[in-house]
Amino acid sequence: MMASLSDVENSITTSTLPYSYAPLPNGEQPAGNDRPVHSSRKTALFLVSVFLAVASLVALFAGNGPVLPKNLNTSAVPSTAGMPEKVAPLSRGVEKGVSEKSFHPLLGADNSFPWSNNMLDWQRTAFHFQPKKNWMNDPNGPVFYNGWYHLFYQYHPDAPVWGKIVWGHAVSKDLINWRHLPIAMETDEWYDEQGVWTGSATILPNGELVVLYTGSTNESVQVQNLAYPADPSDPLLIKWVKYPGNPVLVPPPGIDNKDFRDPTTAWKTPEGKWRITIGSKINKTGISLVYDTEDFKTFELLDGLLHAVPGTGMWECVDFYPISKQGENGLDTSVDGPGVKHVVKASMDDDRNDYYAIGTYDAYKGKWTPDNPTLDVGIGLRYDYGIYYASKTFYDQNKQRRVLWSWIKETDTEASDIKKGWASLMGVPRTIVLDKKTQSNIIQWPVEEINLLRTNLTVFKTVVVESGSLVPLNLPSASQLDIVAEFEVDKKTVERLNGADIAYDCAKNGGAAQRGALGPFGFSVLAHEGLAEHTPVYFYVAKGVDGNLQTFFCADQSRSSNANDVDKSIYGSIVPVLKGEKLAMRILVDHSIVESFAQEGRTCITSRVYPTKAINNNAQLFLFNNATATKVTASVNVWQMNSAHV
Amino acid sequence: MKSSPLTILFLVLLFQENLFSATADRLLIENTCKGTPSYNLCLSVLLADPHSQNADLTGLAIIAVYAVKNNGYQTLQQIEALKKFHPELMAALTQCGEVYKGVVDVDVPLSINALNLGNPKFAEDGMADTAVESQACERSFQDHAQTSPMTNANKAMEDVANVARAIIRMLL
Repeated sequence: MMASLSDVENSITTSTLPYSYAPLPNGEQPAGNDRPVHSSRKTALFLVSVFLAVASLVALFAGNGPVLPKNLNTSAVPSTAGMPEKVAPLSRGVEKGVSEKSFHPLLGADNSFPWSNNMLDWQRTAFHFQPKKNWMNDPNGPVFYNGWYHLFYQYHPDAPVWGKIVWGHAVSKDLINWRHLPIAMETDEWYDEQGVWTGSATILPNGELVVLYTGSTNESVQVQNLAYPADPSDPLLIKWVKYPGNPVLVPPPGIDNKDFRDPTTAWKTPEGKWRITIGSKINKTGISLVYDTEDFKTFELLDGLLHAVPGTGMWECVDFYPISKQGENGLDTSVDGPGVKHVVKASMDDDRNDYYAIGTYDAYKGKWTPDNPTLDVGIGLRYDYGIYYASKTFYDQNKQRRVLWSWIKETDTEASDIKKGWASLMGVPRTIVLDKKTQSNIIQWPVEEINLLRTNLTVFKTVVVESGSLVPLNLPSASQLDIVAEFEVDKKTVERLNGADIAYDCAKNGGAAQRGALGPFGFSVLAHEGLAEHTPVYFYVAKGVDGNLQTFFCADQSRSSNANDVDKSIYGSIVPVLKGEKLAMRILVDHSIVESFAQEGRTCITSRVYPTKAINNNAQLFLFNNATATKVTASVNVWQMNSAHV
Repeated sequence: MKSSPLTILFLVLLFQENLFSATADRLLIENTCKGTPSYNLCLSVLLADPHSQNADLTGLAIIAVYAVKNNGYQTLQQIEALKKFHPELMAALTQCGEVYKGVVDVDVPLSINALNLGNPKFAEDGMADTAVESQACERSFQDHAQTSPMTNANKAMEDVANVARAIIRMLL
């Protein structure tokens, strides 16, 4: 056994990323490479580079970053035998740079790729949670405790890619402004040596806080461990203690060593015990195991499963919580009763999306049944139709609401992440309640505290957008926005129109450029003035043969950037629109993340956007109507969003 | 010399045992490769490494990722050579050099790490990224209105990365 430990250690050491992957410092010229250069040559090169730097700065427009003169590099090209450890970014995307022009006479001003410091710096957000640098993934143990909101998160402190993970930690009074704290838990025990993975917090009735988390052991076995604050009276909960008797749970018989992770917050059983659930799989059936405990140290595995759905694969980050049928508040995880439904949510390892379903929980049997089996966990509704994974809720007893956190990964290349020195965001936290009107889905809405960042409101009242037209919205700036809008299509047109079979799919129907009778229409965010780059977020209305309307809500990244190495998918889904409702949209634009909400949060789409031109002063906002048959009337409120401490 | 029939029987069974396990491993390799987009490429990659004979699925995935790494190094050498003989392609070749350095320095270690640490999802991301990078290199020639001299190399990288990705997917 010890032999395999050192084998594992060795393989980890040799595969660790080189530490010299430091991010490019702001505004500095890249070093080129790190081969030593003789000092007299150094002086000459320095003078040449200063001259050329000055010359190219003069030739430049609107700082795409300094040009690294070509001759500096060719004089010291590294041999391939000894790979230099630093990525040597050469010319930084400057189409007007002195040296590049001679090689690319055919290029106009349009080649703003590859990535300049300016483009990469712009991508950092103003009001989304993110560590100062390096890699983050799942949110962990969110909780309100002793006057502070705590967020822990999967963190790789050494590089902007996933690796040996620890628990990062930050606190906030308002879920928007954050104070980053030291790492809460490191990989310092054999039972979490390969990673301190995801877990959840439970507040006990006496006010005590406990955390259960998954450790990947020195032999890559997934086990559950107990941890608690070293000093419960420290409101910042800086130091943590791991229970000496860890692990408290190991994979049970029949469950693979690598299919046992992400324990939930515990809730009370009718017998007065605590109950948790842990996702797993058996062959290709995603399942949720149930354990009862009285002390979080010894557990009893229940005979049955909370639930299982064939064909869905591994269930990661399972979440289980009550929602009120009638009330507007969230509910503590232990609440149960006739006025309550329960949500089961899981992150599907196979397709990287978060799915949920509403159903009924039988506390005595420890089983849950979906209201609508055709919309079961993993095959039905998603929290979000864009990039949204490993999400987790907690009950915020401070404001009596259930709050949802989620990991939003990058959709650019790893190489770009290395260059910019960071990767991943958390979505803006959202409240979750049952949609009282439809009774068959939840609605999510950005926490109200985000409204405190609103400033400088511009109102566009009753803008008529004719068929096939584009309306620029005059704003001081367009990278940090909160947009709230309502749309109306022309009723007479809708009545006159012949219905047809509706076969629309956001992802497959050509995006915003594909015109239909009643759509698409909406906003183009992060748009360049010539629309060389833009990201449409829109409604597409379709009339069926039965005369009923269906509405789709989509976000189109296909023309979001001139870069050829970013994801350009189109996301979206149908959104239920009830009789008498206007089409309503809210969009939060925060640099490289766009979060879109339709019908007050019935359908949500999170997108990552990486423009090369539509950045800083060149980012704009447009209204558009690409429908062929109808005009659209829009009423729009746009706020500039202040930056938060993130 | 008299050999006991039992000894002979024992030796025969031993020999058969080895044959069986060798066949079983070969079967694992063949079945695994059937689940990838390039069966023959997958077979040649896995069989080229003697460790594949005793490897489980994770081990086979690691072998495939190392093939991506080797391919990446070879492509980087090709890029350096092209730079010498085709300076007019310097800008695109430079971009290609960057992205392939990313493949060997970032994507490959990420995938190996993820496979060793027990979270194959991130290994898949690394190989998916490799395929994107090889496509980005190919397109950078088009972006400069030039003909790519690396079409075969980029396709080869994309294919190996997709084989690795497919094997990793079986671990999810």
